[in-house]
Amino acid sequence: MRRIEALVLLSTLSTGIFAAESSRPRGVSPEFAKFYKDTESFTCISNPSIKLKPEQINDEYCDCPDGSDEPGTAACTYLSSLSPPQPISSIGKPNTTLALPGFYCKNKGHIPSYIPHTYVNDGVCDYEFCCDGSDEWAGVGGTKCEDKCKEIGKEWKRLDDIRQKSARNAQKRRVELVNEAQALRAGVEIKIGRLEQEIKVQEGKAEELKKKYEEIERRERGRVVQTGGGKASKVTILAGLAKARVEELRESLVKVTGKRNALKEKVKELEAILSTFKEEYNPNFNDEGVKRAVKSWEDYAANKVEEDESAEDRDLEEISKPDTESEGINWAEWETEDEESDVDALYKFEEYLPTQVRSWVHQKLTDLRILLIENGILADNANSGTESKAVTDARSAFQTVNDDLGIKSSSLGDLRNDLEKDYGPDDIFRALKGTCVSKDSGEYEYELCWLDQTKQKSKKGGGHTGMGNFVRFDRMVVDEEVGADGKGLGKGERLVLVYENGQHCWNGPNRQTTVVLACAEKDEVWKVVEQEKCMYRMDVGTPAACEEGGKKEKGEKKDEL
Amino acid sequence: MRPSSTLSNTWTALSIAALCLFTPAVSVKHENFKTCDQSGFCKRNRHYADKATGLGSQWEAPYRITPESLSWKNGQLQGTILKTINTAGETVNLPLTISFLESGSARVTIDEEKRQKGEIALRHDSKARKERYNEAEGWAIVGGLDLSKAATEERDDSRSIITYGPEGKFQAVVTFAPFGIDFKREETTQIKFNDRGLLNMEHWRPKVENPAPEVKEGEEAPPALPDAEDESTWWEETFGGNTDSKARGPESVALDISFPGYEHVFGIPEHAGSLSLKETRQSSGNHQDPYRLYNADVFEYIMDSPMTLYGAIPFMQAHKKDSTVGVFWLNAAETWIDVIKEKEAHNPLSLGIGSKTDTKTHWFSESGLIDVFVFLGPTAKEVTKAYGELTGYTQLPQEFSIAYHQCRWNYNTDEDVKDVDRKMSKHQIPYDVIWLDIEYTDDKQYFTWDPLQFPNPIGMLEQLDQSERKLVAIIDPHIKNKDGYHIVEELKKKDLAVHNKDGNIYEGWCWPGSSHWVDCFNPAAITWWKGLFKYDAFKGSMANLFIWNDMNEPSVFNGPETTMPKDNLHYGNWEHRDVHNINGMTFHNATYQAMLERKKGEVRRPFVLTRSFYAGSQRLGAMWTGDNQASWDHLAAGFPMIINNGIAGFPFAGADVGGFFGNPEKDLLTRWYQAGAFYPFFRGHAHIDTRRREPYLAGEPYTGIITQALRLRYALLPAWYTAFHEASVNGTPILRPHYFEYPADETGFAIDDQFFVGGTGLLAKPVVTENAESVDIYLPDDEIYYDYFNYEKYSGQGKVTVAAPLEKIPLLMQGGHIIPRKDRPRRSSGLMKWDPYTLVIVLGKSGSATGELYVDDGETFGYQQGAYIHRTFEFSNSVLESKNIATKGKLTDKYLKTMKTVGVEKVVIVGAPKEWAEKSSVKAGKEDARLEYHAEEGKNAAWAVVKAPKVLIGEDWKIEF
Repeated sequence: MRRIEALVLLSTLSTGIFAAESSRPRGVSPEFAKFYKDTESFTCISNPSIKLKPEQINDEYCDCPDGSDEPGTAACTYLSSLSPPQPISSIGKPNTTLALPGFYCKNKGHIPSYIPHTYVNDGVCDYEFCCDGSDEWAGVGGTKCEDKCKEIGKEWKRLDDIRQKSARNAQKRRVELVNEAQALRAGVEIKIGRLEQEIKVQEGKAEELKKKYEEIERRERGRVVQTGGGKASKVTILAGLAKARVEELRESLVKVTGKRNALKEKVKELEAILSTFKEEYNPNFNDEGVKRAVKSWEDYAANKVEEDESAEDRDLEEISKPDTESEGINWAEWETEDEESDVDALYKFEEYLPTQVRSWVHQKLTDLRILLIENGILADNANSGTESKAVTDARSAFQTVNDDLGIKSSSLGDLRNDLEKDYGPDDIFRALKGTCVSKDSGEYEYELCWLDQTKQKSKKGGGHTGMGNFVRFDRMVVDEEVGADGKGLGKGERLVLVYENGQHCWNGPNRQTTVVLACAEKDEVWKVVEQEKCMYRMDVGTPAACEEGGKKEKGEKKDEL
Repeated sequence: MRPSSTLSNTWTALSIAALCLFTPAVSVKHENFKTCDQSGFCKRNRHYADKATGLGSQWEAPYRITPESLSWKNGQLQGTILKTINTAGETVNLPLTISFLESGSARVTIDEEKRQKGEIALRHDSKARKERYNEAEGWAIVGGLDLSKAATEERDDSRSIITYGPEGKFQAVVTFAPFGIDFKREETTQIKFNDRGLLNMEHWRPKVENPAPEVKEGEEAPPALPDAEDESTWWEETFGGNTDSKARGPESVALDISFPGYEHVFGIPEHAGSLSLKETRQSSGNHQDPYRLYNADVFEYIMDSPMTLYGAIPFMQAHKKDSTVGVFWLNAAETWIDVIKEKEAHNPLSLGIGSKTDTKTHWFSESGLIDVFVFLGPTAKEVTKAYGELTGYTQLPQEFSIAYHQCRWNYNTDEDVKDVDRKMSKHQIPYDVIWLDIEYTDDKQYFTWDPLQFPNPIGMLEQLDQSERKLVAIIDPHIKNKDGYHIVEELKKKDLAVHNKDGNIYEGWCWPGSSHWVDCFNPAAITWWKGLFKYDAFKGSMANLFIWNDMNEPSVFNGPETTMPKDNLHYGNWEHRDVHNINGMTFHNATYQAMLERKKGEVRRPFVLTRSFYAGSQRLGAMWTGDNQASWDHLAAGFPMIINNGIAGFPFAGADVGGFFGNPEKDLLTRWYQAGAFYPFFRGHAHIDTRRREPYLAGEPYTGIITQALRLRYALLPAWYTAFHEASVNGTPILRPHYFEYPADETGFAIDDQFFVGGTGLLAKPVVTENAESVDIYLPDDEIYYDYFNYEKYSGQGKVTVAAPLEKIPLLMQGGHIIPRKDRPRRSSGLMKWDPYTLVIVLGKSGSATGELYVDDGETFGYQQGAYIHRTFEFSNSVLESKNIATKGKLTDKYLKTMKTVGVEKVVIVGAPKEWAEKSSVKAGKEDARLEYHAEEGKNAAWAVVKAPKVLIGEDWKIEF
């Protein structure tokens, strides 16, 4: 089953050369048939100086240093860089690179295939390569391998149809994903355009409001005392602000207390875990790390002082209660404005003047004041809190617009960054971001969230454990099985998502996950393995990893035998 | 040596220094294990020795035979030794039996009459037995006890002289007062008992309450009154917070055994140290403590130490020029052995060559009998053979089990196992067995599988079976104490567990937490245990699953010295103290019995690996040297340990390849595989906290080099299996040290870093040091030696330098041998069964060569009924002949029929004579076969090859050159 690609390749090869079949020695493929045609003698394929008698082909003795005289036996298998070196039985400096890719199984009724020569006549029917059982032609030790090509072929065809269909669906889905991604991208671009427009408008507005505000403020600065407002309003403002502030602080306090309580629980839980750990750990078998951990725990436990926090808790509870008339601060008292005092009236001397004179005087005085202020002679009272409503309004109008502008600019920045960001080939992961797939495997349930994080959850209880946060795309050459259902990474270069800096591993590194992708119809985690302590690999199928137009994944090539 | 060695040494020194600085001393917790000073009887006996030595000739040993008690019958001398126990002259009776065996071995047994008769009182209402433990024989000895008919005794007033052994060449001279025995061979004394007067049998005595203050742990004992015995360790001993109640008081036994004229003693495994044992008492550079035998789970053990390890074989060989003798101290209790060597220089002119060294040993055990076997050789082969007649020879293993084992703590899931299996195949790396450590179980409950991680064990086993591969799963003696676990419930219900001193089921801690220990001294426990391994009982097991017994010292995490309290009670109410060193073997034995027939009618050779062992464990499977470390010194320590185990009768031994703790650098891993290819038991293993290190992960060039080493092992499997067969019939070690093969060559006596592989003439010295580019190999004779890989010639006698870059294993072929091989690489050894052989004829100076081959089905007991091929190959006068040396049996013909297709594909003649240059064919059987000759090239010898001679491995034939 794992020879799918090889099979496909061979099937195309074999069709043209079908004619030569009958005359080929055992184990020779049509591709190499030409070397075995001579009926007078045989020439070692990669060592033309060595000529053999035809009966030396497949005579169970390896004569050619390239193994070409034994296409149908295992006699030349010792010729390998993986075997212990030995002087080769040949004169001169022979070419010892193996000339043949393997033993050729015709597999009539199915697809021809090569099987490694080391598998020939070893007593095992290797149907995954040789459905016709021809690898065990000698029947060593009574081995009989019946021809199963018909049923295997049929089953293969059935599965191949499914695979093909699935591959087509995968392609379709990929196209959909690309379109979705494009749409999302376009959406972002539109948003950017819109934002840019809005920002432009807002900028104009802000400019205008700023001017207005400055003008008003300039004018207001000259006023000695505002009409109305005054002290009383200062207090009310303060009260309002204070109230808001207190509310805010109170909310924070409630939140913090909650968090503290949760953490306390956690500490308790951890302490319980650690004391059990201390009880149960094996003083003789565990390593330095364990010993250190136990020691530190003992120290920690010894230094720990149990504090009575009930009083503090009661205080906190008291403070956390909302203010009412009877409890805390009665804001109502402070928020209502008092009557104007008589003293204030005295300052409004201008009101005693005739109207024209009054406005003239006022203008002059104001100008003078501004002049004095601008020359640093008189103190500026604009900041003294006695700001007029006009200034406040103007400023707040300006600030509102300006704030909005800030938000918009930053959104724009985000969107622009998002456009720049690597979403993989064809931007395709834009369509997947925010979605997750999970997989039940052994003791754990694993979850992969695209471009976000990987997690594991033990079935034996406990929370999620972060296995890493997405950091980047990568590529990796793999050589893995492909199941009959077409699931599996196969062989070649694959797209990889690298997740790093997950939860720290006890006595190990921070968890990390290498997510290796292969083309599939659906998003599916096929396999999760802990390759090293806390370093995981997920083999994942997704249409997002399919190559454009259904061409093979990069680096795809015939499986070497 | 080479100039670069200084540099590399400096670097090593520096890196060691760096290690010391940065790693908190990674080594054994010494405080967990007793020194002699902390072991009461060790201290007492050493003190006794000091006293006797101090007094010199004034020392009067208080043991004498009463001549009138003696009787001689059927090769056995019986009598009574009187021990004088006080100045008043009171004595106790110690029955003595000296047996002379048909094999030429002698046995001396001393017991205590009062204990035999049960006339003693035990303290604390103890339920323990009153006798001295006398059942060690039942576990260790399986034969060879027939008494000699030819032995004769002569006696006078002062001594008795027994003449025995082959052709009456041996004599035992028993002196009555003080008691002592000299064992002679051809008039020369070889072994002396009680020569130094250190015989000591602490007789039973009631506790007399005297005002001596209690000694608390850690405090110095108050100085004993002059002349009064120090009783502080008699009645109670506390160590590591655990108090031993010692209901029988002091009861140790001790004897000094001297080897006059013998400079080297070997054996008494298991210790991490040199083959030739070091002195333990005098001068610097030696050990401070005696060699200790008290099976224990020693965490991160240290090098070059007499400290105890996981197993114990109290069998020692002494060797001098042309003579090997041995003693076997059959006692299962904690035992210590002091070794001293004394140079005798009677003639000052003969200093050096003529000076004679005596090795004197002093053995003491905490309880039990004095029961010692004496072997007088004169060759090492005869000594190991005689020892094996008693304790059994090594099991003829399943053939797969001498191939490569891939282990790790842990392969996490069944899919993980299958994945490793596929990857090994894909990378064309042969292996036979993949292993599962404790994590495969459901919550450390043996005989179960983790349902989440191993949901489909049968599917996993079936995939392995596809390429005739096997699985080994661990099963330990601690049984998890958990409600609902059927095994522990049966264990408790049937009362088959070890008991504590009060007679209740003992509870301790091990991997599963609270646990009980199955008591395999109990026959009923063995019967029960056997039932647990049936395929229908151990669900998820099938025929290609085998077993690993670990932690059987027993290891008890919260026990004294990580094992059981000594006052625990075993079957028959023997104290754990009495049986401790045998305990591991009884568990191993129970599993062996269980694995014989897991399905009615399907009888197979078991394969069970054990960590703890005793004399006799060789009958049951393989052992490994426990938890070593990924460091060069541990790599180097492996061979002396394995060789030592081999000469002590247990050759099926290996060390964890790669080192259990820690991550080996790639060159270390590679070298370790090259070394491991020469371990009789060849397994890669790793701790759970280490990085994965399956051979295909190393990357090039390492993976390729490792694969070559593995394939070398596989190619040589026929030779290895033949060596195992030899060990299984006569006890000859598989890795043979120099003294064994060259008993007259004094230069070689202490060599323990190179060795011969069986009788193949392969001389190996795997590299065990960092950055080596070459090694010096010592050649013991003036034969021609050829490099295994390129036929480069070397000649002895003396040291030669052999190139050893990383990709090369220093391996020589000694002239005069014929080595059988199978060169075709397959996925597993099972798939090589039908492959043809290659015979390598290594011509010696004489122009001739011989070799042997043993073949059988590798898994059943059919060989016992003749289902095997056993042949010698002889090359002389230009004729190679294959001769049958098998004994025909009921199944011979049937077996030979199955082997009808298996032949010889080529015969390589290394050192081929020049005259053959013109030859192009030879007569092979009835037909002609082609011959190709390759002339000598530089240092590389000439060689020739006979191509496809078409002769069968199971038949007689000749090839005429």
